[in-house]
Amino acid sequence: MKLSKNFTNPLAANNPVIVQILGICSALAVTVKLEPAFVMGLSVTFVCAFSNLFMSLLRKGVPSRIRIIVQLVVIATLVIVVDQFLRAYMYDVSKQLSVYVGLIITNCIVMGRVEAFALGNKPWDSFVDGVANGLGYAFILVLVAFFRELFGSGELFGFTILGDWYTPNALMLFPPMALIIIGCIIWVHRSINKDLQEK
Amino acid sequence: MAINKNSNVYIIIYTVVMVVIVGSLLAFVATWLKLQQDANVLNEQKVSIMKAFGEADANFDDVVKIGLVTDGALTEVAKDDKAAIQKVFDLLGNRKALSEATAELPIFVLEKDGVSKYVLPIVGKGLWGDIWGYVSLQQTEDNIVITGIVMDHAGETPGLGAEIATEGVQGMFTGKALYDADNNFAVRMQKGGAQNEHQVDAITGGTKTCDGVNAMLATSIGKYESFLRGAEATAETDTEECECTECCADECCTECAEEPIVEPVNVEEE
Repeated sequence: MKLSKNFTNPLAANNPVIVQILGICSALAVTVKLEPAFVMGLSVTFVCAFSNLFMSLLRKGVPSRIRIIVQLVVIATLVIVVDQFLRAYMYDVSKQLSVYVGLIITNCIVMGRVEAFALGNKPWDSFVDGVANGLGYAFILVLVAFFRELFGSGELFGFTILGDWYTPNALMLFPPMALIIIGCIIWVHRSINKDLQEK
Repeated sequence: MAINKNSNVYIIIYTVVMVVIVGSLLAFVATWLKLQQDANVLNEQKVSIMKAFGEADANFDDVVKIGLVTDGALTEVAKDDKAAIQKVFDLLGNRKALSEATAELPIFVLEKDGVSKYVLPIVGKGLWGDIWGYVSLQQTEDNIVITGIVMDHAGETPGLGAEIATEGVQGMFTGKALYDADNNFAVRMQKGGAQNEHQVDAITGGTKTCDGVNAMLATSIGKYESFLRGAEATAETDTEECECTECCADECCTECAEEPIVEPVNVEEE
C-alpha cells in the first residue's frame, strides 16, 4: 500500500514539476520536439532511480560531513554513463539535448529525492520513489512537448499530423511558450486538486 | 568497536575507494563506447559533406573521391588507403589543426553528369565559439560558384547567430559566384542586405557571427585559391575547346576565327 502510494504520488498529486516546481529549466529547453523530451524524461528517470538506489545502499556508510559530495559523485557518474550511451546509440538526440544531459546533475529533482528520501529509506522503496519522480517529470515534459511540436511544427515524433492547411505557429517553438503551457497545466491540475490551492 | 564515520581517516579512505571505483567504471564505459561514438562522428561528417553536395540521399563511400591539395595541386587518396582516409577525417574533426593546416588540405570531389563539384571544409570563429561547415563549389565559364553550404556552430545565440545552421540562411549562398570583376573574393554576408550578386543578407542581431562567417569563408576558401584558380583556368580552356570544335575538328586552335576550316581540310587530305 505504502509502496503504491510512493509510486503514484509523484506522478500526479505531488508532481515534482507542477507542484514542487523543480526541473523547470530543462523543461523549457528540451520540449520543442517530442523525441528529445521523451529521451530526456527517460534519462532523468534512470538517473533519479539509480542514484536513489545507490545512495540508499550506501546510506549507512556515508560520512555525513561529505554526504553531499558523495551524492554528487554518484549522480554525476550516472549522468556521464547516460551521456556516453546517448552519444553512442542516439547520436542525433544527444546533439539536440546538447548540454542538458550534463545538466541533469544539477536537476533539483534528482538531488532533492536523494537527500529527502533515499538517505532515510530502504533501497527498493528509494528505487521506486526515484522511478516515480523521474516519470512524473517525464510526463510533464512529454505533455509540454506534445503541444509545442503539434502546434509549432504540425508534427508528432517528426510525423506530419496537421496537413498543409495548418500554418505552424513559430511562437510555440520559443521557450516562453513552454512556461505558459506549464502554467496552464498547473492551472488545470490545481483546479482538480483543490487542496493545492493557496488561500 | 564501532567505526567513527566522521573521523578524517575514514573519510579519506572512503573518498579514495569511491573515486577509484567511479573512475574505473567511467573509464570502462568510455572505452567500451568509443568505437561506436567515433563511427557516429564519422557518419555525421560524411552526411554533412553529402548535404553540401546537394546529394543527401547518395552514399558518400560510393560516389565521392577524397583528395588532398598541396600548393594548388590535387592528389587523390586511394579508396583502399584506410589510414590516409582516416587521417583526413581526423583532421576534419580537429578544428584547430584544420584551421592551421596549409598543406595537404582535404577536398572532396563528386563527378556527376560530366560535372565536377568540390567540397571544402570551412572553419572559423563565431561570437561565442567555433563555427564550421562544408562548402560545395563548381566551376563555371568565368567564375566559381557555390552550389551548397552546410554550417554548424558550437554555441551561437539561438534565434540570432545560430541561424547560420538553418537551411534558410544556408540556401541564400547557393548560386553565389566567388570572385568579382577584379578577381577579388567577394562572397560575404552583408549587413543591411545584399548589395550585389556576390553577397547574401546578414542576420539581424547576428552581426558578429556573420562577420565570423565572412572571415571563415575568405580564409578557408582562400587556402584553396591556387587550386581553384587552376580549376577555373581549366574550365575556361575546356570552354574554348567547345567553341572551336566547329572550325577545328581535333583540337582547339586559337586562330580559328581567322583561318577557318584550314586544318580540318588538311587532316582529311592526309
